[in-house]
Amino acid sequence: MLKAVIAAAFAVCSSGAALAQTGPLVSADWLLENLDDPNVRVFEVSVDRGVYERGHIPGAVDLNWHTELVDPINRDIASREDFEAKLRASGVTDETTIVLYGDNNNWFAAWGAWVFHVYGLGDQVTLLDGGRRLWEARGLPLDSAPPAFAASTITLQDRDLSLRARLGDVLEVAESRVDAHIVDIRSADEFNGVIFAPEGVRELSVRAGHVPNAINVPWGRAVNEDGTYKSADELRALYAEAGIDGSKPIIVYCRIGERSSHTWYALSQILGYEVRNYDGSWTEYGNSVGVPIVNVAGTVWTGR
Amino acid sequence: MTTTETIAEARVGHPFPARALASAAVLAALLAGAFVLYAPSAEARALSFSLLIGTLFGVVLQRSRFCFFCNFRDFYEKREPRGVLAILVALAVGVALYHVVFITWMPVPIEGRLPPTAHVGPVSPVLALAALVFGLGMAVSGSCLSAHLYRLGEGSPTAPFALLGAGIGFVAGFLTWNPLFLAVTARSPIVWLPHAIGYSGTLVLSLAVIAILAVVVLALSRSGASPASAEPLSLRVVARRVFVERWPAAAGGAAVGVIAMLAYFRVAPLGVTAELGSLARTAANGAGILPETLYGLDTLRGCATVIKETLLSNNGLFVLGLVGGSFAAALLAGQFKPKWPTGSQAVRGLAGGALMGWGAMTGLGCTVGVLLSGIHAGALAGWVFLAFATAGAALGISLMRRLVPGY
Repeated sequence: MLKAVIAAAFAVCSSGAALAQTGPLVSADWLLENLDDPNVRVFEVSVDRGVYERGHIPGAVDLNWHTELVDPINRDIASREDFEAKLRASGVTDETTIVLYGDNNNWFAAWGAWVFHVYGLGDQVTLLDGGRRLWEARGLPLDSAPPAFAASTITLQDRDLSLRARLGDVLEVAESRVDAHIVDIRSADEFNGVIFAPEGVRELSVRAGHVPNAINVPWGRAVNEDGTYKSADELRALYAEAGIDGSKPIIVYCRIGERSSHTWYALSQILGYEVRNYDGSWTEYGNSVGVPIVNVAGTVWTGR
Repeated sequence: MTTTETIAEARVGHPFPARALASAAVLAALLAGAFVLYAPSAEARALSFSLLIGTLFGVVLQRSRFCFFCNFRDFYEKREPRGVLAILVALAVGVALYHVVFITWMPVPIEGRLPPTAHVGPVSPVLALAALVFGLGMAVSGSCLSAHLYRLGEGSPTAPFALLGAGIGFVAGFLTWNPLFLAVTARSPIVWLPHAIGYSGTLVLSLAVIAILAVVVLALSRSGASPASAEPLSLRVVARRVFVERWPAAAGGAAVGVIAMLAYFRVAPLGVTAELGSLARTAANGAGILPETLYGLDTLRGCATVIKETLLSNNGLFVLGLVGGSFAAALLAGQFKPKWPTGSQAVRGLAGGALMGWGAMTGLGCTVGVLLSGIHAGALAGWVFLAFATAGAALGISLMRRLVPGY
């Protein structure tokens, strides 16, 4: 136990250097200046295929959300072996500052950041504020050649399960057996059960509504017009207004866990609250048997 | 069309200054559209680029009379090889340039992965049937869909009916999609040649097959003398050759191959039916006649149709540019000749269009989206479409000769 504490303290101190340099967010200007730094490794996590290939931030490695950040067989995050192999091939070491960005408002990049945190690389990971959209809007350079790096020998830690909520954890809060906040970051219409899924997305849940005791703060309220996160003060005020001040543990969820990663990042990395991401999210909770929901609109699946 | 005919055509109709002015106005409008669409975001840049590359494609199709069916028919009936050679050049140039992109994006053709958004579709008897029916539709209506679009810019009386018919054919395709998917397509392989024989193998094999086809076409041809004359080059002669006469097969074909690569590199593979199909799907869905789900459709590569949620789409602007570019080129060349349609043209357009629409929906694209963009991408489906659409066209010509006097 003592050994683990010392190791953890050492890890925080040693890699604190990388984090102190960047913080949880880096600006496009910072990244532009540090692109040639061999200790900076950029990963693009875009969910739309062809986006990375047609032009990515120079030197960025493609991290495929569908295959490299999840385990599609077990509906799980990527296995330690696979993720470690990917990072080794990308030349990531204990000294590397890892910058993530992606399409779709950085949702999937934030998922990526969460996975890096789960595997103990949290203090090396940072997010490009504003993601791909801002980089493109500013007309900053893109490249279409895949990068190549000398392989590293990095070894990942075991998963940090304290960053992940499972169905049972959520149920304990829903049934008021555990005192914590649940933040539902979906749209108000999804939260209230008016719709099952956002426009253009298949309805994958047989029930509409939300987890009992959940508070609705749609993810988009945490960002500015240009897609960058609001300032820490603004975020603190935003969540405080909803009754979330970091005094209790927090669980965030959405539909499949990617938009909630975006809010997980704001609450845990920018505000420093204790937050777990529930990646099973509504597609698991809403479909689970014997689990209570709140359905304000009363919408019934295929009901007339 | 011979040179003398082209020149004679150019001399009739409106005087040259008026045509040039009208043509410049159309081009200026398209460029202004691209300018207005441009905004500092990836989506806006793609929309703007789509309109521009569509315009260029339209100009090239019109100037080189790049029409899959007419070129085939010229060869099939008159043994005139130039048009078919233009298609083969387009295939060869495109397949080579696509490989430059592939090797950049995906240095190794990893098993289980396809190059992003390339048109690599399933190979099945359904695809063969779709291509055959598409070929029949070409023969009935007189053109493939991309040629109907560029001919719209020439004032073709058949084209509007063919496009309307294609919309109807698409709806028929949606209605037969689910049973065909469950019975056949769901279990059919998606064959990307580089998975089996690598990039080099695919390139060599594709170019070898194209070369053999070219040799066969030339061996069978009974072409007249080349229209290239010994007249000295002057600004006037060059302007006439560029803006009035039909471009040489190699130039037109190479331009199509280059445009195919540019379009793939920047936005998406060439295709002309996605927007048409999406309009049909949106209308039919609105009318409530479509099945609730079209199985697997969203997971297959090709000219995908979607229920439209936005007015502007990349493919819509590409097609708009195609028609506009062809219109501008035809105006300048004196080849814009709108005619009032006859009953026969309307019927043939509608019937042929419907056959092509069904074929393009069921086969996930047409002579551009599957044949051209598929062969460029190393998809076996492209070659299957080529074989069966050609067979369908030959069959269609024989049938039409019997059914329609003077065909």
